[in-house]
Amino acid sequence: MQLQNGKKLKSLTVLSSALLTLSLAATACGGSNGGGNASPSASGGNSPSASAGASASASASPSESAEPAEKVTIDFWAQKFEDTTDAWFKKYVDAYNKSQNNVQIKLTIVPGDAWDQKMKAAQAAGKAPEIRTLSYGNIATSAKTGQILPLNDLMDPAVFDDLYDNVKDFVTVDGKYYAYPKLVEPSTVMYYRKDLFQAAGLDPEKPPTTWAELLEDAKLLTKKGVFGFSIAQNAGDLGWSSWGLQYNAAGHLALTDDWSKADINNDGYKALFKFYQDAYQSGAMPKQQLAGYTDIKGFGEGKVAIQINGSWAMGQLRNTYKDMVGKVGIAPMASIDGDQTKPTATLGGWTLAVDGKAKHPKEAAGFIQYLLAGDPAIMIDFFKTAQFSKFSPRKSVDEAMKSDPDASKDEWRALIAEKIIPYAKAEPIYPWDVAMAVSTGIESAMKGTSVDKAIAKAEKDINDFVAKNKLAGTNPKS
Amino acid sequence: MMAKSNTVSKFKQDNKTAYLLLAPIVILLTIFVVIPFFYALVVSFYDWSFYQESKFVGFRNYYLVLTDDLFLESVWTGLKFALMVVPAMLILSFLFASVVKNLSPRFSGFVKTSIYIPTIISGIVASVIFVFIYDYTAGLANYILGWFGVEPVAWLAEVRTALPSIAVPAIWLGFGLTSLIMLSGLHDIPESYYEAAELEGAGTWAKMRYITIPLMRNVILYLLVTGFTAQISQFELSLVMTNGGPLSETVTPNLYILNHFRNDVMVGNSIAASLLLFVVLGSISAVIFRVLNSEKAVDG
Repeated sequence: MQLQNGKKLKSLTVLSSALLTLSLAATACGGSNGGGNASPSASGGNSPSASAGASASASASPSESAEPAEKVTIDFWAQKFEDTTDAWFKKYVDAYNKSQNNVQIKLTIVPGDAWDQKMKAAQAAGKAPEIRTLSYGNIATSAKTGQILPLNDLMDPAVFDDLYDNVKDFVTVDGKYYAYPKLVEPSTVMYYRKDLFQAAGLDPEKPPTTWAELLEDAKLLTKKGVFGFSIAQNAGDLGWSSWGLQYNAAGHLALTDDWSKADINNDGYKALFKFYQDAYQSGAMPKQQLAGYTDIKGFGEGKVAIQINGSWAMGQLRNTYKDMVGKVGIAPMASIDGDQTKPTATLGGWTLAVDGKAKHPKEAAGFIQYLLAGDPAIMIDFFKTAQFSKFSPRKSVDEAMKSDPDASKDEWRALIAEKIIPYAKAEPIYPWDVAMAVSTGIESAMKGTSVDKAIAKAEKDINDFVAKNKLAGTNPKS
Repeated sequence: MMAKSNTVSKFKQDNKTAYLLLAPIVILLTIFVVIPFFYALVVSFYDWSFYQESKFVGFRNYYLVLTDDLFLESVWTGLKFALMVVPAMLILSFLFASVVKNLSPRFSGFVKTSIYIPTIISGIVASVIFVFIYDYTAGLANYILGWFGVEPVAWLAEVRTALPSIAVPAIWLGFGLTSLIMLSGLHDIPESYYEAAELEGAGTWAKMRYITIPLMRNVILYLLVTGFTAQISQFELSLVMTNGGPLSETVTPNLYILNHFRNDVMVGNSIAASLLLFVVLGSISAVIFRVLNSEKAVDG
């Protein structure tokens, strides 16, 4: 404490300038960190899966010729899906890393509920992963805002010819391909318990085909400890899982194609709101959901007789609730008027895309091409482990799967492929707020608001959102 | 003359020591609070995107937030939530602390430790535990109701019960710390006051009314201000337990901000909302200070 005589003022200046430099240095560090790539750590994987991967990656890679140039490390974030999917990602990332010496893919599995926060934080810091999973509904907005790169010049153009036309459209914005699809899966399939149908005096081979029948059956099937019916019941799940039924009842979605105003105040939407309201208030549905919409736990544990869920739930039933599988029937979701050629589902699904600020776009796209667009065996392996609950966007994979005995004799798969997918619609690409306005309306109708009031509120909310955000005429696909 | 200069230089030395001791916290606050705060202030006037040029939009973000019914609703939800949690917590912990104060030291040590345990449990873990308790078909709450033949209640899905259901774990989580602070406040009141009052013939009620509560004013003020701020900015309970539902009954201001941060392409909106929340919390604290009118306890 002997530092004397420094004038008070001076010491203050020194202190504050030191402070400033320090903080500047700190922020600068934070900013520039994004530039250097993460150290080429060996986190990518567990080696035991090598044997499995080897078969797929046997393509002779002359590792000697590759000069010891800097090995590129590329971050790849995959959303957490079923365990089988996570394992599949790991397996082929390992295989790819072993197959060549130039690129090291670093896989990180990110849980769905943490995804958005983690991604936003990484983007803000300039550390977004170069490869990421992306759902169809988010492609257009991401492309428009520069978050992802067009793949036309980064991948072999031939790989896009292999896609079915409707799926090709899902990944196209302004004539360019912005992502490569991995799978499609219909959002709405009806699972029902044949044994409980029988016990209630219903024909287990004749699941309900109209909403009215569905509600009647549900009431009959409701017993102590068993709910007759379960479908999405909170705004977050309803937001997307009701799209197919919105098409079913109204023939269109809640926003006009030019995104200029709400299109919800009509009989179709009223019938839809009424259906959800009746279902919830009939007592056949649990008042509080047993699990989220993507989880078929309640049905798998025998607490539900008719469950509406996506096709992915087939995988969960077959992997987790094996005892139940024999008693389960599946069918297209009932339609408003019994016409089973009307859409009941949207085709959701996942793609891989390259980040808009990627340092190594070519290498990143190369990996996507290897994984999703290359050897059909890789994708067939995926569909197999997923118990054929997901469907291929590629013709060549379907072609190759025909010779696969498991795939060809799977009745559930055939039913979904023949009776649901052909009539299914693409997911809308409008902002999520619009979907939430509709689904909040549905939920409020379920919780007791009159249908007319709920529709009026949703209509107002959508129109307000359109006006405030100057949405009219901004649809990237019209 | 000599003496004077001596005191001056001593005074200076003290100053330096003070600056030195303050430096770490000032530096940290500058890096983590002051700079981000002003940066946020700047950014709130932009359509801020990580991939494109940010666009200056003036007060538009604020306009969007303030005209969003959901934001105002969420502030109201936050207030309701705080009004459920804070008074209940204060009353319970006051009663609890009064009891513990008179226990034997050994036993009170045990009670204090056990009551403190919820405080060190993370909000997320508590939420998950309570999600199990509130489960519709297999939860403890409905199981107990079942003994009395009551129909299961959809605790987290019913508009009427959702917010109170979330308030319960909040009380449980905050109860321990509040009790300990209350207890130390109680111990601070000189025993002689009570003895004097007893001599004058004051009963338990009179002692509480005229000695304990007035002398606890600063402690209660502190707990009220921190409690309100903490509970209005609560979000992990509703995030995990209800995700804001049913409808938007449990969307607290911070959950509103988080939802916008997650879903919006541009980040300006959530930053404007955060700054507005800052104003809301500041004014609430100011009101509490005003109403309770803090003054130093007159003792000793």
